[in-house]
Amino acid sequence: MRTRKMLMGLTALALLAAVAGPALAQLDPKALPEPAPLAFKPPKPVEFTLGNGLRVLYLEDRDLPLINIMGYLKCGSLYEPAAKAGLASMMGTVLRTGGTKMMTGDAIDEELELLAATVESSIGPEFASLAAQCLRKDLGRVLEIYADIVMNPEFREDRIDLARNQAVEGIRRRWDMPIQAAGILFTEKAYGADHPLGRRATPATLASVTRQDLLDFYGRYFAPNNCLIGVAGDLSAAEAKALLSKAFGVWKKRGVAFPAVPPLVERSDGTVFYAYKDTPQANMVLGHLGSRRLNPDEPALEIMNYILSGGTFSARLMKELRSNRGLTYGVYGGVEAGPDRGLFMISSQLKAERFVEALGLIKGQIRDLQERPVGDAELAEARNSAVNSFAFRFETKQAALLEYIDLRLEGYPANYLDTYVDSIRKVTKADVQAAAKKYIDPEKMIVLVVGDEKKFDKPLASFGKVRPIDLEAVVAKELAPLK
Amino acid sequence: MKRIPDYVAIVLAAFLSAGNGALAAQDLAGRVKTKTLANGLTVILVERHGAPVFSAIYGFKVGSVDELPGITGTAHLFEHMAFKGTPKIGTSDYEKEKPVMDEVNRVGRELSIEIVKGDRADPAKLKDLREKLAALEKEQSRYIVKDEIDQIYNNAGGVELNAGTGTDSTQYVISLPSNRLELFCVMESERIRNAVLREFYTERSVIQEERKQTTEAVPNRLLSEIFMGAAFLAHPYKNPVVGWASDIASVTLEEAAAFKAKYYTPNNCVLALVGDIRPEAAFALVEKYFGAIPRGEDPPVLRTVEPKQIGERRVTLEFAAEPRVLMGFHTPPFPSADNATATVVANILSQGRTSRLYRDLVQTQQIAANVSASAARPGMRYGNLIIVSSAPRFPHTNVEVEAAVVKHLDALKSEPVGDKELQKVKNNIAAGYIRSMASDMGLASTLLRYQLLFGDWKLYLTAQNMYDAVTAEDVMRFANAYFTAENRTVACLVKKAAR
Repeated sequence: MRTRKMLMGLTALALLAAVAGPALAQLDPKALPEPAPLAFKPPKPVEFTLGNGLRVLYLEDRDLPLINIMGYLKCGSLYEPAAKAGLASMMGTVLRTGGTKMMTGDAIDEELELLAATVESSIGPEFASLAAQCLRKDLGRVLEIYADIVMNPEFREDRIDLARNQAVEGIRRRWDMPIQAAGILFTEKAYGADHPLGRRATPATLASVTRQDLLDFYGRYFAPNNCLIGVAGDLSAAEAKALLSKAFGVWKKRGVAFPAVPPLVERSDGTVFYAYKDTPQANMVLGHLGSRRLNPDEPALEIMNYILSGGTFSARLMKELRSNRGLTYGVYGGVEAGPDRGLFMISSQLKAERFVEALGLIKGQIRDLQERPVGDAELAEARNSAVNSFAFRFETKQAALLEYIDLRLEGYPANYLDTYVDSIRKVTKADVQAAAKKYIDPEKMIVLVVGDEKKFDKPLASFGKVRPIDLEAVVAKELAPLK
Repeated sequence: MKRIPDYVAIVLAAFLSAGNGALAAQDLAGRVKTKTLANGLTVILVERHGAPVFSAIYGFKVGSVDELPGITGTAHLFEHMAFKGTPKIGTSDYEKEKPVMDEVNRVGRELSIEIVKGDRADPAKLKDLREKLAALEKEQSRYIVKDEIDQIYNNAGGVELNAGTGTDSTQYVISLPSNRLELFCVMESERIRNAVLREFYTERSVIQEERKQTTEAVPNRLLSEIFMGAAFLAHPYKNPVVGWASDIASVTLEEAAAFKAKYYTPNNCVLALVGDIRPEAAFALVEKYFGAIPRGEDPPVLRTVEPKQIGERRVTLEFAAEPRVLMGFHTPPFPSADNATATVVANILSQGRTSRLYRDLVQTQQIAANVSASAARPGMRYGNLIIVSSAPRFPHTNVEVEAAVVKHLDALKSEPVGDKELQKVKNNIAAGYIRSMASDMGLASTLLRYQLLFGDWKLYLTAQNMYDAVTAEDVMRFANAYFTAENRTVACLVKKAAR
């Protein structure tokens, strides 16, 4: 297999080889023997529940004199009223910046920053999170401040105004990047503008949010029995237990009720939504609703995503669009799970001059996945990758703890990680094909593209029925209350 | 005698009491093992047993700063090409593939020559060459095993396989389960020694899209490109790492290969491994595989020195996006004392909610949506810039934000920064230092950076001491020396109507 030139040089190489070892020949890493399997048991957190129902996960981490605290509550924009879209997100900001009954936001900033500690809060669709980092020696004081923010936030008016003004400016700027604009519009169309996941905050909805709204929203969901706190760092389990009991012991347990969230309805119907913007590429997001969390198809979906669009260079779409044709810098996505439904979504910024060709290629790859079993090597690689990289989920104690927190929050069974590797090993070609058929419908998926159709290789109408979106009008309407 | 305020003493005490064989900061020096092979490759190892994994990073001291006019973007282009395989990786039959690839490259070069002619190019010839190239590439693709480097690492459980090019250097990274160290050594020594630059012209097209996606469509990146072009007159820090569009479109495989040959030598390379490894065994494996890469000539020295700026420079970008402003001042490179002061000053200005610019511009006056200051841009090897970047909050303007920033920079010239404020900044830098060791890759890349750019990873420790030594007088002197109108470059993004 050596080239002629290499053979001719062999004598000289042989001389060197005696000194320099084996790297002189062209080495084939595939010829290396398979190493002995790793014996690895993930670290298990210590779990306990305080008297008031607050759940704690703890992992020891003595490597550095640092402490990480990660608190979560079930509380999110899923539960906010439509007319006040943005309330949860604003509360996520002002929880931290608005101070507590004892301390102003400024006083908290000053004390924490002098200690080089951080406490940050945010609220997403499902969960509120409060993360703290500090040096071990400051844990006592930082935990006091952390607990004070969780239990006694004051939501001072000046910080509410600041958060609102910043959010409005964010709305003004959210259309600046074309791929972000495509993502925002896709989310609206796929979930529906009337669903909490599909609607978005506007200056008008933000203007209607009052301090009382924040207090009410806080009061509804912030209770110890709705809270899970993870601690990883340079302290013992006994210390963690004592400190958290002291900090949160006074927090009173009470009933928490969640409003019904309207079920998601598939409304994708194959429409191509086109928003003009003067930008060099075609910025595309396509897809429809995805899967439900905690469903038995998850291992098959994980393998299917890996093979179709999982973000590695082995994914079919990456090969087709980037590696074979040079049409894009990257293409990512897959079927993602949500509490009700997540999204099936493929996203890419593509060479405008070949955009419609790229759309056809994507659709063709999806059909192929549904019509033909995947190859042996593809399936093996997808499974090997998941199984052999399993240890990386626990690379740092902080990462390991987050892994456990996610599983607890999302309601996965306690032995999930013990059975995960086996569940991946069992996925068959038939499972992958069945998942592709069950969870993806290439005829229904909508395409959201932001760009300039004049640059495209073919009219969009050649791909599907087109509905234009006047991006400038969308933005102008959102910003109208400010004029 | 060095003045150590009480608080630092406490922080240092925290370092010292970490105990339990932990990777505490004070014993970092004892934990880092280095070795320079006969061919000049420097190897850094840190043993740390958490999960059974390790992170690897190796870098070459070559970045966009080493490029000449016409071939900007080549360091980055070659970084992409390094993923295309070797005679053993990425092909089903190299002997048959090779002659086809040679033809691809011959036609590709002809096409590049024609493209460079611009308006004078012969359209018929362009079309013919493009068709020929496509047909040859199709023929070559029969032998290509796509992205096999990725495949092999994925099967082995590798994560984070990637590479990055900057102004100063180019890095390659991968994290693997700890039973795959030999795989890493075989794979990477082969990539350095026997890289085959297949699929060059397709990859060039990918990079054209990368430039559009990451610069031309991103307002702050595009503004930054224009800003650097104005701030540097002569020095190659003025060029974008990804390269200018015209250069990417016309660079040839021969130019990329020549660039690689000049800079991808073991004597211009550092390798760092951190994680679940045994140093003795790891050194032996590295020696066995990387040790056989022949030493190269010393890379050329950059001659161009940026002349002293003698007057304010202002540039405008008209773009369909909300306004934003960048302001920068030339500063000397690491490891000068003034460069350390620049880092402290950037932190005083914008690190955290109590920083001067955040508190005044964002929180109190509310004229800005955000503000951030950073030192040592766009690189550390040569004289660089301290930069303040901010986006005004509607209906406020770039002009108002700029004036407010200048007011704060001027205040630093006449009023000494308070003890507590300075201490706060130093505490945060010290904490950042500890946090930089939290992940294997984080630690590996930090150690690599100082070893590669400055010849000794211990300069990372030196840098911490330099930050700690900065005084209120240093800050005032720094502000007076560098925050002057004649040393200032300002770039403004002005919103252009969409249609």
